[in-house]
Amino acid sequence: MARTHAPPAPAPTAAAPRALPLRRRPAVIALGFLAPALLMLVVLRLWPAAQALYGSLLHTSLLEGTTTWVGLDNYAVLFTDPDFWQSVGVTLVFNLVINPGQVLIALGLAVLFAKRFAGARLWRSLVLIPVAVPPAVSAVIWGVLYRPEGPLNALLAVFGLPAQPYLTSPAQALGAMIVMMSWVGVGYWMMFLLAGLQDIPADLYEAAKIDGASAWRRFVHVTLPQLRRPLAFVLVADTISNFLVFAPVQLLTSGGPEGATKLMMFDIFHRAYSVGDLHLALAEVMILVLVTLVIVSVQFRLLHSRED
Amino acid sequence: MSGALSRRRLLTGGAGIAAAVGLSGCAGGSDPRGRTVLGFLGSEAAATFQPVIDGFERANPGIAVAYTTVPADQLNDVLQLRLSAADSAIDVYTVDQPRVPALSARGFLTDLDPVAGRARDAVLPEQFEISSWEGRLRSLPIWTSTQYLFCNVDMLRKAGAEVPAADPAERWTWEQTLGAGRRAQERAGASAALLLEQTDLYYGIQPLVASLEAGSGITGPDMLTPDIRNDGWVRAMTWYHDLFANGLSPRGIESTQLVTLFTDGKAPFFVGGPWNLGAFAGLDAFQWRAVPQPYFADGVPATPTDSWSWGVNPAAAHPDAARRFVEYASLTTKGNLSTVRKTPLIPSNTAAFTSYVERLDTEATASTENAGTIMRHELEHTAVGRPRSIGYTQFETVMGAAFSDIRNGSEPEARLRRASAELERTWDRLR
Repeated sequence: MARTHAPPAPAPTAAAPRALPLRRRPAVIALGFLAPALLMLVVLRLWPAAQALYGSLLHTSLLEGTTTWVGLDNYAVLFTDPDFWQSVGVTLVFNLVINPGQVLIALGLAVLFAKRFAGARLWRSLVLIPVAVPPAVSAVIWGVLYRPEGPLNALLAVFGLPAQPYLTSPAQALGAMIVMMSWVGVGYWMMFLLAGLQDIPADLYEAAKIDGASAWRRFVHVTLPQLRRPLAFVLVADTISNFLVFAPVQLLTSGGPEGATKLMMFDIFHRAYSVGDLHLALAEVMILVLVTLVIVSVQFRLLHSRED
Repeated sequence: MSGALSRRRLLTGGAGIAAAVGLSGCAGGSDPRGRTVLGFLGSEAAATFQPVIDGFERANPGIAVAYTTVPADQLNDVLQLRLSAADSAIDVYTVDQPRVPALSARGFLTDLDPVAGRARDAVLPEQFEISSWEGRLRSLPIWTSTQYLFCNVDMLRKAGAEVPAADPAERWTWEQTLGAGRRAQERAGASAALLLEQTDLYYGIQPLVASLEAGSGITGPDMLTPDIRNDGWVRAMTWYHDLFANGLSPRGIESTQLVTLFTDGKAPFFVGGPWNLGAFAGLDAFQWRAVPQPYFADGVPATPTDSWSWGVNPAAAHPDAARRFVEYASLTTKGNLSTVRKTPLIPSNTAAFTSYVERLDTEATASTENAGTIMRHELEHTAVGRPRSIGYTQFETVMGAAFSDIRNGSEPEARLRRASAELERTWDRLR
């Protein structure tokens, strides 16, 4: 019997999707919407960063009038410069003190002002006023307060206490700057934490109360876990802003006395524009960015692991 | 369609306006009257330069000058920042004369040698030299300077102290001055014995070192070797340290505010520049007098000098108009005199200088009697210019920090040692 071969059934002719015009593809549309932001990112962030990195690898001889590629020499120069290490030390001490201090005080004030009590709004406004004062004006106000014959020493004299040198003393200048910066910063960071506190559902506190939790336990087991996200933001943003402090140093101490307030940001400005060694300044910029990135990523990692 | 078109037009128009605003902010451009607008940057109050700007604009109807003032202690940083970015919005800027070498080396000054012949004939010889570098004219001088010791005559008399004489031959020593100042603190209620207007600035400190013949602080064949640890420097800085440590001069007050202590009658002595002659003219609360700046008893009389030139930015949007403006202010008698109409600084133009000193003599009051004579004497016999080095900018910055620390109590010898090491490191980078 002859085997007959049925003609192969025609392949199901599912209608092949017609290629979409390029301008209708979702990825292209998304890219189109993202393009302005990406362009800005490249033009305003990545390109200057690349230029800074490249500039940090050059050296200009004013005597010869030439600019040459020196590789990592600028970094080597910085690492053997005692003024650079003093600046790094001052910056780290400043941040180790001011960041926990500001966040704790801001948290304490936020918890306090989240409660209803007589005059709460007035007190809240008073804490917030320094936020509205421009940093340069704050620096001028505190510069007057810290004068050896200024109001703070007059106040000490009322209590029979000796006058303090404040910004003119290497031992006190950094502390005086921390107090000034905190006067400005605490109210600002408090606002974020206050908003976070007001988002915590009241029934969590009621449940904890019913379970017999004390006020401290409610704070530790309800408030802090619920406040984790705003707290993380405040800690990271505060750290970054404090690593980049410049104006008060420029206005009040110029890094002195004896380099006691020479934060890295001021040192960079000093090298770039007062001394005119732009390439060395750019090398220090790269180091500052690296240090800040490391510290912030450690903070993120710690907060993330707590979340887990 | 029309909607889309109108949106596109709107966006295009918006972008165009933004670009136009941006560009107009970047370069000098022109004003509503169609005049070329020159960008002029300096640290003096706007009123100081208004007469010279008005005079130039009258002489050049097609050009307007827009002056921007920057605080004196930030001028160097601002110039470094903007000139290194080839900012064309600055056409003309004021140049601190010892910075001419550094600014020239960085390519921040237009070569003005084509007018060198005219300039040599028109300005004081030392002012021509200080405005030049490596044999070429880099800027045009506007002012020179000196310093006086201003005395509160009433306070000194109340304290039973002698009043210094105006005759340079009878110049007081620093030891005499502090002796009378202490007496005024003890007997006449003075809060300070002596105020130095240019605290922490090399201009104000250099005469102390120069009086002890200890050198400028910079030496070497390329003028990039620090020499600030010799006995004279240590002695001068110890005197400066003690001035504040012993309560003879106040700490924690900016130098720009010290003058008010003198005008408020809280100090018998104030060392300051000739601009104070004008500022004190209306002072009638007490009788004051300008006398020669003191010197150390075992040293020589020494006074600061040099002042400001004007330079043309090589990236200027209007280089030709900028040159005309600078030439008007420096090389013409009328223009140069108009720069000192509001603030009595000393003109660099030879004819303007002569006219200025004559006026100072004819218009002298009991307070300013001999001010012109003292000025001429100091410029001829005791003036010590600041060192000429491409490293002067770094020198002034590093020494400013050292002076500030010493004033606030740092041990002078140790602080000078540290400053010397910093200068060596910094200058090594210029090679």
